[in-house]
Amino acid sequence: MSQAENVIEIRNLSKDYRDFWGRKKVQALKSLSLDVRKGEIFGLLGPNGSGKTTTMKLLLGLLFPTTGDVSIFGQPASNVEKNERIGYLPEESYLYRFLNADETLDFYGRLFNMSPAVRKQRRDELIQQVGIAHARKRQLKEYSKGMTRRIGLAQALINDPDLVLLDEPTSGLDPIGTRDMKDMILKLREQGKTVVMCSHLLADVQDVCDRIAILYGGELKVMGRVDDLLKSKDQEQLLTSPLSPEAHKEIEAVLKKHNAQLLSADRPTTTLEELFLKTVQISQERPGQRYVAEEGGESPLEQKQSVEPSAK
Amino acid sequence: MSFDVVDFNLWAGLLHFLQVFCGIAVVFLVAGFLISLIQHGAGGVAGFLKGLTEFATDFARTSPQRIWAICLLTWKEATRRKALYVFVIFALLIMFAGWFLRNAVDRPELQVKNYVSFVLTIISWLSLPVVLLLSCWGLPTDIKNRSLHTVVTKPVRKHELVLGRFLGYSLVGTVVLLVMGVVGYFWTVGQVPEAARSELIGRVPIYGNMSFSTRQGDRLKADLGENFKPDDMAGVNVGDIWEYRSYIEGGTKSRTFYDFKDLDVAAMKRQGEFRIEYNFEAFRSHKGEIDKSLLCRLTIENQQPDAQGKKLRVPLPIFEVKEFSNRASEKTIVLGETITYNEEGTNEIRTVNLFDDLLKGGNITIEAQCLDPGQYLGMARSDLYLRLPDRSFAATYFRGVMGIWLQMLLIIVLGVTASTFVKGPVATLLTFGILVVGGTLSELMRALVTGTQEGGGPFESAYRMFMHLNPSVAVEAGPLTTIMQAVDSVAIGFLWTVQYLFPDFKIFNTTPYVANGFLVPWKAALLPGIAVTLAFVIPCLLLGYFAMKVREMEAK
Repeated sequence: MSQAENVIEIRNLSKDYRDFWGRKKVQALKSLSLDVRKGEIFGLLGPNGSGKTTTMKLLLGLLFPTTGDVSIFGQPASNVEKNERIGYLPEESYLYRFLNADETLDFYGRLFNMSPAVRKQRRDELIQQVGIAHARKRQLKEYSKGMTRRIGLAQALINDPDLVLLDEPTSGLDPIGTRDMKDMILKLREQGKTVVMCSHLLADVQDVCDRIAILYGGELKVMGRVDDLLKSKDQEQLLTSPLSPEAHKEIEAVLKKHNAQLLSADRPTTTLEELFLKTVQISQERPGQRYVAEEGGESPLEQKQSVEPSAK
Repeated sequence: MSFDVVDFNLWAGLLHFLQVFCGIAVVFLVAGFLISLIQHGAGGVAGFLKGLTEFATDFARTSPQRIWAICLLTWKEATRRKALYVFVIFALLIMFAGWFLRNAVDRPELQVKNYVSFVLTIISWLSLPVVLLLSCWGLPTDIKNRSLHTVVTKPVRKHELVLGRFLGYSLVGTVVLLVMGVVGYFWTVGQVPEAARSELIGRVPIYGNMSFSTRQGDRLKADLGENFKPDDMAGVNVGDIWEYRSYIEGGTKSRTFYDFKDLDVAAMKRQGEFRIEYNFEAFRSHKGEIDKSLLCRLTIENQQPDAQGKKLRVPLPIFEVKEFSNRASEKTIVLGETITYNEEGTNEIRTVNLFDDLLKGGNITIEAQCLDPGQYLGMARSDLYLRLPDRSFAATYFRGVMGIWLQMLLIIVLGVTASTFVKGPVATLLTFGILVVGGTLSELMRALVTGTQEGGGPFESAYRMFMHLNPSVAVEAGPLTTIMQAVDSVAIGFLWTVQYLFPDFKIFNTTPYVANGFLVPWKAALLPGIAVTLAFVIPCLLLGYFAMKVREMEAK
């Protein structure tokens, strides 16, 4: 990978937190080196206190490194100019709660020296995109957590950035909100933007990230493509339409012939997220109906027509 | 009025500012360079130069739109966090104040003084704490709530952040002050009793330079050599602890001279009259009739000699100075266009034209003399002035409000700057401390630094207290005294620096002018206020910039 394709380059980055007297309290990050490439979604994973947010803040210049270097678009993290091309969604949306959505986006638009016409256009686009048009005139202190995350994302995108840094983007969101957020992140990649997100919600990271780095105790432990890291080297999976018991036996025989063993044969399950989203969709299409699965019964995803009217 | 009105010397002030500013800048640059060298070794030079380049780039790329955005944000923050509730307190105070102020005193001028002092004082006391708290808590709250994270991760320069806050709080303060000022004006005009309305004016005085003569009539000349002491140029000290006034002895040739230069005679001619107002104090050295006034006389001398080299001198009619009298009407001399007088020496009756003869050229001296032997007449520079046509009460009142406004701007600048490097409560204490020290202790510091305060520096004073030594008694010479005075000189050097770092908040107090019915003077009151405020804006902006630049925005 050539240097030109790296949006972020981190070299031997360490960060010590010190007390009032300058004594080292904790080493939050230890000699971290990694690159983030243009157009990818990069995930920083790790348990609480592993150094994810510290890394993010070092990238943004909110913290100063104890040792090591960070460059973004070839410029040091302390350079204000780089912020022209960056969008940042903090861990919690620390926005000004006394502003409404329109005012919030207008304020952040002004910080990028946007003209009134451009500000209005971006504001309207983003409010539609994140789905808070109905609440655009309400002060943010009246927003739910999900709505706050949405307006937070909108402010991060106000300047149409090339690099988007998302700190726990799905934290506190309901499944619909989570799905929407993940869709928006994927859309950013389609638009050619680079995304760095840190999260401890592993399923979310798995769903959207191209590459990940796992930190533990301030150290980089694992880094690579998600597919490569998750792929099982000593097992293979075949996915077929439903099979008869005879077919099962024949397959087992074939496997035996090739010195392989059938470890498991079962109907694949969907994710709980898929089930939840489908249920919400069906409920919106046919209100007043409900489905209670019998033990061993079928999922509503398979049995749309069998959903019965509620007892009401 | 019992204060000296001295025009502010703008150029001298500017020169002084540049000296102090450049001195501090050099100290900071050297310190920055050394710190960079210590931290980075040989690479420190490059780091230092990089820092200077960044500084220049940041200021060169200042964006008015970003500053305006932060200013608007600050305005919305203050208004939506109910800062404007201060109006409710103001409304309550002025709704009921009339009960206590009405009929508090009989004399009209004192009634006006009461109302005006009350209004301007409550405007100050309500508006200044509000802006002090807002400016000291704004940035720390932003940092604590981490709202600032979403701002500093945009292309916002640190000084834009500081400047935006300066302007935002100034906008809030200006609106608060404007509303209170306008309401206070109409309230004052409405509340002042009918009989005292005539005192709602803005007198426009012209002050001269004052000097004294000896008992033999020889005018004291300023000897500005190294042995010069201010007392050499003063009149008689009658032992009054308040040294505001100097005295001349009655029945002798002692005189006080008030020199007026470059008077606008044409403007006075249009006015059609020439008014002299005085506020002399009678001091009796022996018993007499308590209600008997001192007899005094003023003589006007034109400083342009005639062909024979003689200066025109016109003695004015003798007048009385009563003890304990404050009635302005009794202290005014009005001269018409034609003056008839008895010539000194010959006692011939002569007539002169005031504007064409006596005031010709615009340079005159007014001599004051006490005619009662054994008694003393006390006077200060501002005790005699020429009164130009009055300005409206509104003109002086709103200039008074402007004085409060300038003070408010300075508090905002100090508060925001303090909040860039310490948390809200500390910033509040720091700013309040500067306000208290600058408002009350500046004279003491000046006295200590200039050596006019007796008793020496802190160590010598402590030693004197411990040894029960009078401040005016010389300390016995010896090694201990030498060491003590050497340490004191360091402390006084520190104090010398500090007295320039603490603004003198007294200069913003324009209430006495308004309350006493004088127009707040531009050169003596407002110009120094503007100069001091601006002198603090630039260093504070730089200090705020560097403080924000070197601090981590994480609220840990």
